Amino acid sequence: MKAPKTPYVSLNQAGIGCDVRIESISGPGCDRLREMGFCEELQVRKLSSGRNLICSVCGTRLAISRELAEQVRVAPVA
Amino acid sequence: MISKMSSDPDAIPSIALIGNPNSGKTTLFNALTGENQRIGNYSGVTVEVKTGTAYTPHGRKLRVLDLPGCYSLNAGSPDEKVAVDMLLGRLAGESAPDLVVCVVDSSNLERHLQLALQVIELGLPCVLALNMVDVAEKSGLRLDPAKISEELGIPVVPMQASAGKGVVELKQALRFPFPPAPQNPAWLASDHSPDESRRSFIRALCELAACRPNSHQQTFSDRLDAWLLHPVFGWLAFLGVMFLVFWAIFSFASIPMGWIEALQGVVTTSVENLMPDGDLRSLLTAGIIAGVGGVIIFLPQIILLFLFIGLLESSGYMSRAAFLMDGFMSRAGLSGKAFLPLFSSYACAIPGVMATRTIDSAKERLVTIFVAPWMSCSARLPVYFLIVPLLLHEEEGSWKQALVLFSIYALGTLTAFIVARLLRGRLGADTHPRHFLLEMPPYRAPQWAYIFRHVTDRAWAFVKKAGTIILGLSILLWALSTYPKHEGDDATEALAHSAMGRIGAVIEPVVAPLGFDGRTGTAILTSFAAREVFVSSMAIIFRVEETDNEVETRALLRDRIAAAKRPDGSPLFTPLTLISLLIFYIYALQCLPTTAVVAREAGSWKWAIGQFAFMSGFAYLASLVFFQVGRLFGF
Repeated sequence: MKAPKTPYVSLNQAGIGCDVRIESISGPGCDRLREMGFCEELQVRKLSSGRNLICSVCGTRLAISRELAEQVRVAPVA
Repeated sequence: MISKMSSDPDAIPSIALIGNPNSGKTTLFNALTGENQRIGNYSGVTVEVKTGTAYTPHGRKLRVLDLPGCYSLNAGSPDEKVAVDMLLGRLAGESAPDLVVCVVDSSNLERHLQLALQVIELGLPCVLALNMVDVAEKSGLRLDPAKISEELGIPVVPMQASAGKGVVELKQALRFPFPPAPQNPAWLASDHSPDESRRSFIRALCELAACRPNSHQQTFSDRLDAWLLHPVFGWLAFLGVMFLVFWAIFSFASIPMGWIEALQGVVTTSVENLMPDGDLRSLLTAGIIAGVGGVIIFLPQIILLFLFIGLLESSGYMSRAAFLMDGFMSRAGLSGKAFLPLFSSYACAIPGVMATRTIDSAKERLVTIFVAPWMSCSARLPVYFLIVPLLLHEEEGSWKQALVLFSIYALGTLTAFIVARLLRGRLGADTHPRHFLLEMPPYRAPQWAYIFRHVTDRAWAFVKKAGTIILGLSILLWALSTYPKHEGDDATEALAHSAMGRIGAVIEPVVAPLGFDGRTGTAILTSFAAREVFVSSMAIIFRVEETDNEVETRALLRDRIAAAKRPDGSPLFTPLTLISLLIFYIYALQCLPTTAVVAREAGSWKWAIGQFAFMSGFAYLASLVFFQVGRLFGF
């Protein structure tokens, strides 16, 4: 069976106002991200972009830097 | 079961409150302890752990510790390290708490339970306080406390600490004997890493016991943030808020300041009427009342500033301000997290320096501490208020003076940013890169009880300073300017004959290149422990007698200073020397308590003394260059 091609992008590339699901977190900042509530399978809404982007995780708004957002791979929610 | 505590009736069991920032931990602490609290400093670690006492429903006394907010027990920042050390009983003079209350925000269990699970793993008796159930219910979350309690193996108390709901139930849960410590947490049974197993356990638990409605709801905070974090309107709102804060501080404060002045006048007059003329009366009126009164007058401004900082923090706007300022602060090599410490430093560098604890990066923290005293603090205001009207040949209070005052603040801030940038470059990059990551709590109505307590703490600290250091210095100054006594009536000659006049003559060559004479030099010298002493020193040096009307007294001091002449007959203060004096006060670090706090926070006296030497040297050079260049241009 052929695996479906999933369009994983970093959180930076996700569109504003989009709901996305976190596929993987990897990189030097991943421990801190996990402590703040980012973890696989979780649904996130990106609220704004820029130097630091804001997203909503489990009802909390978090501002994170672009470098951190680059370490979060997400897929659009079907 | 007889617990360890109940066998020893004299031991007061201790209970630690732990939770993420913004979980309502401090609100719960206040609800449990009421007014019975105390702030203790633990040397070396430089953080405050609040302790208070509470009573169980059976009247048993409990010692409650409010640990700093943290996201995990991995000790990422100094704050978190204190919390971890406290829980493990590693702090000097503290044993591990007998029971831990984990405070979690129920609208955010996925995140807050991470810390709770880590605490349960420590094997201490534990109670979970499901705080802010009202917020959770409003967002459509369906909570099942019984299920959570069953899965975690600890008592769970749903509550709303801000409204006092559930506090009695929590106290019931703290009855003796304490619930047994949870054994072998279920989530650690799996083969995965502890982090991985905790996460999957929490995910499963939340699906069972905290059903979240699927659709993302647009909350009130979201709608407000759309405006307040807008690239254009957000900045306008930010500037508006900051302007409002400063305007309120300068305009509203003048009313209670008038009362304090009037009171000071009444006290002085009654002392003069009650006592015969002599050394003791002179000590009381010209030394103590004038010296301490001249400092207490700034209490209203300090109270107002802390009131606004408390309001901004408690309503949730402060983290938005940090977010907005991050781009701007990055030009100084700092992050948005340095904004709050630096902004607080406009009130007083001491709480500012203490607020740097929230900065993760050790180097950024050191740089922020280093430049914080250049944010013109409120203790400089007396000096500015004395000199600025003199510079413009006006009475106090006009828009031109506000403009000059604004430039003074801007100059200090700009220099601080430039130095921060240079210093940050020199210190090099962090060994572990820390990225900007900030939680934006939902907007909430301000918690007045918390703000009130915060403001009274700060105001009292300031009054204590006026009552100790400044009182002592006022007496010393009075004595120096009175003895040895000079026969005759001429005040100027008497001053020149006194110890102070002689010190002034010695240091005159040092301050002459800045445009000052020995008398100003002496006043500057006396203000090295607390800069606001400059005004009372000048009043004592220029022998300004107290009158009933205090505004008149201050105007009189200005007249005396303006009329003061050098021995060759030229005026002592020209616009050039006045600006040179202002520049000196913008840059000099003349505050003993700040230096002590910096030594504690930076963990070394070297850093504190280095900062003091650097700032004093910088102030001297800046004044020197300004005065000499000004003279070359013929001013």
